[in-house]
Amino acid sequence: MSVDSAITLTRRQLFGRSAGGLGVAALANLLTEDLGAASGQPALPGLPHLAPRAKRVIYLFQSGGPSQMDLFDHKPGLRERQGTELPDSIRGGQRLTGMTAAQSSFPVAPSKFSFAKHGESGQELGELLPHTASIADRIAVVRSMHTEQINHDPAITFLQTGHQLAGRPSLGSWLSYGLGSESSSLPAFVVMVSQGSGGQPLYSRLWGSGFMPTRYQGVKFRAGREPVLYLNDPEGFSRQDRRHYLDDLSALNRVHLDEFGDPEIENRIAQYEMAYRMQASVPELTDLSAEPEHVFDMYGKDSRKPGTFASNCLLARRLVERGVRCVQLFHRGWDHHNRLPHNLRIKCEQTDQASAALVKDLEQRGMLDDTLVVWGGEFGRTVYCQGELTAETYGRDHHPRCFSIWLAGGGVRGGVTHGSTDDYSYNITENPVSVYDLHATILHLMGVDHRKLTFKYQGRHFRLTDVHGEVVKPLLA
Amino acid sequence: MLYQAIPRILVAALVAAAGSPAGAVDFHSDVRPIFSDRCYTCHGPDAATRMSALRLDTEEGAFAALPGGGFAVVPGKPAESELIKRVESADPARRMPPEALGHPPLAPEEVATLRSWVEEGAPWSRHWAFEPPRSPRDAGEASSAWARNPVDRFVLARLREAGLEPSGAADRRTLLRRASLDLTGLPPAPVEVRSFLSDNGPGAYERAVERLLASPRFGERMAFRWLDAARYADTNGYQNDRERDMWRWRDWVIGAFNANMPFDQFTVEQLAGDLLPNPTRDQLIATGFNRNHRGNAENGTDPDEYQVEYAVDRVETTATVWLGLTMGCARCHDHKYDPISQKEFYEFYAYFNNVADRGRYYKYGNTPPIIHAPTREQADRLADLDRRIAQLHEGLQVLAPKIDESLASGGLPAGIDGWAHSDRLAARRTFDEAGGAPRGIRGRAAKLDGLRHFSLGNAADLDFYDAFTLSAWIRPEAATGGIVARYEPDGPKGYGMFLVDGKLQLRIDTSSISDRMRIEAVHPVPLGKWTHVAAVYDGTRTTTGMALFANGRPVEAASLVDESLNSTQSKAPLRIGHGPGPTDRFRGLIDDARAYTRALSEDQVAMLAVRQAPSAIAAVPAADRTSAQERKLRQAYLETADSGRAAAVWNELRELRLEREDFLDSLPTVMVMREREEVRPTHILYRGSFDAPREQVSPALPAALPPLPPSLPNNRLGLARWLTDPSHPLTARVTVNRIWQMLFGRGIVSTVEDFGAQGASPSHPELLDWLAADFVESGWDVKRLLRTIVTSATYRQSSKVSRRALERDPKNLLLGRAPRQRLPAESIRDQALSIAGVLSADSGGPSVKPYQPGGLWKELSNWGAYENDHGDKLYRRSLYTYWKRTLGPPSMLAFDAAPRETCVVREVRTNTPIQALNLMNDPTYTEAARLYAERMLREGGPSDKERLDYGFLLATARLPGSSESGILRASLNRYRDRYNTNPEDAESLLAAGEHHRDASFEAPELAAYAAVASMLLNLDETITRE
Repeated sequence: MSVDSAITLTRRQLFGRSAGGLGVAALANLLTEDLGAASGQPALPGLPHLAPRAKRVIYLFQSGGPSQMDLFDHKPGLRERQGTELPDSIRGGQRLTGMTAAQSSFPVAPSKFSFAKHGESGQELGELLPHTASIADRIAVVRSMHTEQINHDPAITFLQTGHQLAGRPSLGSWLSYGLGSESSSLPAFVVMVSQGSGGQPLYSRLWGSGFMPTRYQGVKFRAGREPVLYLNDPEGFSRQDRRHYLDDLSALNRVHLDEFGDPEIENRIAQYEMAYRMQASVPELTDLSAEPEHVFDMYGKDSRKPGTFASNCLLARRLVERGVRCVQLFHRGWDHHNRLPHNLRIKCEQTDQASAALVKDLEQRGMLDDTLVVWGGEFGRTVYCQGELTAETYGRDHHPRCFSIWLAGGGVRGGVTHGSTDDYSYNITENPVSVYDLHATILHLMGVDHRKLTFKYQGRHFRLTDVHGEVVKPLLA
Repeated sequence: MLYQAIPRILVAALVAAAGSPAGAVDFHSDVRPIFSDRCYTCHGPDAATRMSALRLDTEEGAFAALPGGGFAVVPGKPAESELIKRVESADPARRMPPEALGHPPLAPEEVATLRSWVEEGAPWSRHWAFEPPRSPRDAGEASSAWARNPVDRFVLARLREAGLEPSGAADRRTLLRRASLDLTGLPPAPVEVRSFLSDNGPGAYERAVERLLASPRFGERMAFRWLDAARYADTNGYQNDRERDMWRWRDWVIGAFNANMPFDQFTVEQLAGDLLPNPTRDQLIATGFNRNHRGNAENGTDPDEYQVEYAVDRVETTATVWLGLTMGCARCHDHKYDPISQKEFYEFYAYFNNVADRGRYYKYGNTPPIIHAPTREQADRLADLDRRIAQLHEGLQVLAPKIDESLASGGLPAGIDGWAHSDRLAARRTFDEAGGAPRGIRGRAAKLDGLRHFSLGNAADLDFYDAFTLSAWIRPEAATGGIVARYEPDGPKGYGMFLVDGKLQLRIDTSSISDRMRIEAVHPVPLGKWTHVAAVYDGTRTTTGMALFANGRPVEAASLVDESLNSTQSKAPLRIGHGPGPTDRFRGLIDDARAYTRALSEDQVAMLAVRQAPSAIAAVPAADRTSAQERKLRQAYLETADSGRAAAVWNELRELRLEREDFLDSLPTVMVMREREEVRPTHILYRGSFDAPREQVSPALPAALPPLPPSLPNNRLGLARWLTDPSHPLTARVTVNRIWQMLFGRGIVSTVEDFGAQGASPSHPELLDWLAADFVESGWDVKRLLRTIVTSATYRQSSKVSRRALERDPKNLLLGRAPRQRLPAESIRDQALSIAGVLSADSGGPSVKPYQPGGLWKELSNWGAYENDHGDKLYRRSLYTYWKRTLGPPSMLAFDAAPRETCVVREVRTNTPIQALNLMNDPTYTEAARLYAERMLREGGPSDKERLDYGFLLATARLPGSSESGILRASLNRYRDRYNTNPEDAESLLAAGEHHRDASFEAPELAAYAAVASMLLNLDETITRE
């Protein structure tokens, strides 16, 4: 926390009027340093460590574990193995969830969906992702992701915080801590959760700041009248009233400052001014009425419905346009233990078009080059069927040994397919990418050396990647 | 970017100015931190990552000859010291730390420090925190009229070393408000301010402190941070994150603080109350401390994995709270900085690895081991019931000869043979009336052919936490089939008594094969013979609460599955001869099938197995009757005799016993510690992984800490007593340091969670040791410790910041003034409710749900919606707010409350715009502002000035100065104009919250005051402890 306390120290030192001597402009700039999430706070000294390829990241998190062999990891050879027992040599003592551990048979369930090659790169994608197919040359698909966790809570927590147990800062918190914010009226790290998508629950620790100060935690934006908790002034209290109120409040606080001389009071005044600015900037941001028709068409009809994934994708673009460092979307309901073909189609319909539209939209605005977009879940699914396997349908259990994600924009080499798995999409055969590697790569693209971004807590210099992580070079443009 | 450059230059200058006195390098505070932070990774305690023979964590290691010749450290001779040569080397290949391995070189100041240390003779000492406190009697040198007690002399000595003087005393109003907020978490009421100001006698402040320490609010305030440390919450903390009940433990903590329980007892009871001889119920409740950790109930969970996580959590929490050590760092490898090897970690872990809990927690409700934990009122009622039951029982004994007489005289009541034990009898079926039914054991019986079955209707519609008893006479012809069961139609969800391969089974099932409770008798029931069978379940959600009986006697049974997580309630009727599927039908005869919705006692089951009718028993000479027969006869007699004193007494007794049973069922429970009978072996886990056990280890303490005194048992109880041994170097220091943090915002050791090599050096080492020694000598008297500190001159200083102080000691490390601290999250809300005059004075009880924005739970999870409570429960103190771990109360988290997922002891305060929005717009505060305004109007006096003065006093304990008054009046007048012009806006503003509005005030006037009141609630001074 040495850097942190150094900042506090100087700010305290500099703001006391009695300690004065600096110009008002310098004061105003410095003032924001402790205001955290929505403050235009600068990067840590020495950061970025290297020239950033991306200034912002939008993570489209698909919670529940999208099925890799139905979407990205094409296994045509499985068709003829329908219903045959998964060979022991493939499963090889694999740890199973408590849900299928007692299952006596592990029949192979090939994907019902067809695959085709797309774009100049010939990126292979399943038929449920027609829109993603249209950005095939922009995305890098990683087929060789793997994780250590087999159940939702620890797996999502691991993916979002680098550790399966609670208590560590999330990816967005690390970025906000290290790189600061570019906006003086919006948080550095914003989270949005699709509404009505069902599925496994989420937890605020996924965007929490863990052992870091709370100023680095993600601010959740919600659909509806009040996008940020307590943003709206009470009924019967106008914007004008609020202005007067804050003027009086700061006048009172200044009387006290004059007597007590604690620069912290100046900080309090700035905190309220920041809140006032947010009250204007957030509604402006979430008001989509000025977006042209063709933009809604591109994101799909859901984008007109607040709270949907599509609407949140559009908001994500507006957020990064306004300097928000990290936007994290959560879409639930990918946990397809049964009726996978039916349920997977629904999830893809909810997400495919808008995800692709976001990439195209950023590209059209010249922002894709320095905005990183990541799409994926916390683990994959088993090739063997959970529950009854029929000609029409099947279910799949959790599978940590391999899963697929894609990345686009901000320094990512488009059209790449990285890593491969065996004939059953069960084990990785080439270029494994761990969760730590993914984190290291995201940080790298953002100009951060994952080994150097540390936060001292309980005597340890913690890293997002703990003692692991290699930047996945082949993904870099 | 000029503004970024300035501060760093200033920082260096300031650090130099405010740092330690010029001159000697201090090994503790200057040298070891460099070694630890920059060298221990490769030259420290972890043997696995040590890169050469050189160790810098031990004296022997640092001064030993190097294998390649020479010495790392030659006292007095930096030029001959390899250490200095290597850190100063210009050659990156030789320079330490090696940049090639990702370690940046030392800063020039760090190199200079090491050089000076060697020049000064390289004095070495063990890490201070592992040495016993030096118990300085007092800081002798510094004495002045300012100092009030030894605390002050230590503080003054450090100030004077730095050329500073302490500040004068804070004014009395400020002081009273400070002490009230610190000791009770609440501001002083105006009447308390008045009475304090009018007490001009000596010791007025001390008297006020005594009043605060004696207040029941004190224990609640002390619990704020203890609940964070204990990761206390109302939910399990994983996945669906459903409810548990640990509030009886929370209330125990509050009670213990209020009773000023000595801290050593507080420690022993929480860590090992269950191992004390004949523990009281309170001592068992106390052990909830180490059951507060999260519990995973996700369907796919591997129980073995989480069993390990729970024990690790207990170790980490215990080590953080009592030892101030980051022991968890040694889970996967030897500790990088402190002398704790991985083996020692698992030896310590072994103390916590023998708890009779389970890896997979129940989805909702408390997971065993649990106990009933009645509140005092409930315990009183229970005792009263017990007393009345005992009285009636005695009365019945007195009447026994009369009953004998009646029975002997043959005067049996008419309907006695139709009698059946009927307490909570949900269903019974006999077949005596059925035409053509075969002869049974006692009348006619049902003949089941493996196809047909009998329905008992929608009886005993039970879930897995409901007790029941099933019984029947059976004469099976086939070895498998359902006897009495209630299952979904052809589905696997429900419960019942079965015959499986000839053996009795009791099952409570969900459709998941891993989510069931089943026991099975070891020996089979004979085919073709009548047997009375019974199955009893006590509703405790574990197979230890299940029992099987044959012919009235308990039979040996084995637990087959013991995981009960989801509802087992089924929609189908209760049936005889039918199980969940077509293959589970009974073949043979069944008679007298029953279902009770309570767990019958062994005696009662034995009575059910008595075949003879009461009249037949009466015909047997009394001396020849079995005790079960005797019981049946007597009970039948008492319950069918239509008059007589004995029958009246018996029926009252029956009802009271059932009432007691129901009452017991309604009592809160709490999860507690209990040792397993068969010791769970502990292994070193390779890289900390549950599925990689290595060498087996036994409970033991780390060698760097004092040994366990031979008089103590080598178990959790011994461990707890060892922690509170007066000679322990850490427990008292760590505890007084946390208290210091509570009062000054920062510990004497600022890293309150880490007293190890990587922790901060104490700002006042001698003061820390004196406080620790004094605390132990006082008998671990917490209130005395607080009294000592808050009556010191150090605590009483003004918080005004002078220019000189700001320059010389900007962070106030030397305590030359009182710190200004933003209030903790709990106090911000409690204070607002208190100022508004609605704060509930109720103490304890189940957690409550105050206002929370709608939909917060729903939008992240499919389960559960937050519905706020009503009435008084909206205004309880914040420590009673329902705490859902995965989604804590937003307004608490906004103000830096710990999330309660893991142990947190460091107090952190940040400053975000979200906090401002929260305080201005949360209905909690807009409603409070309105009620506060009503108070100003009602209690303040007739004029605006008096009312505003009163309002200001409520918030800050002082009166506004003239410029403040001017601002407030202008503000009020502006709002008054505004709301007089727009009275409908006034109505809107006043609409927040459920509390009724005082109709005697006009809306525009009240709204104008409410707007000012909101401003006062948002004032920096209001949310700051000055």
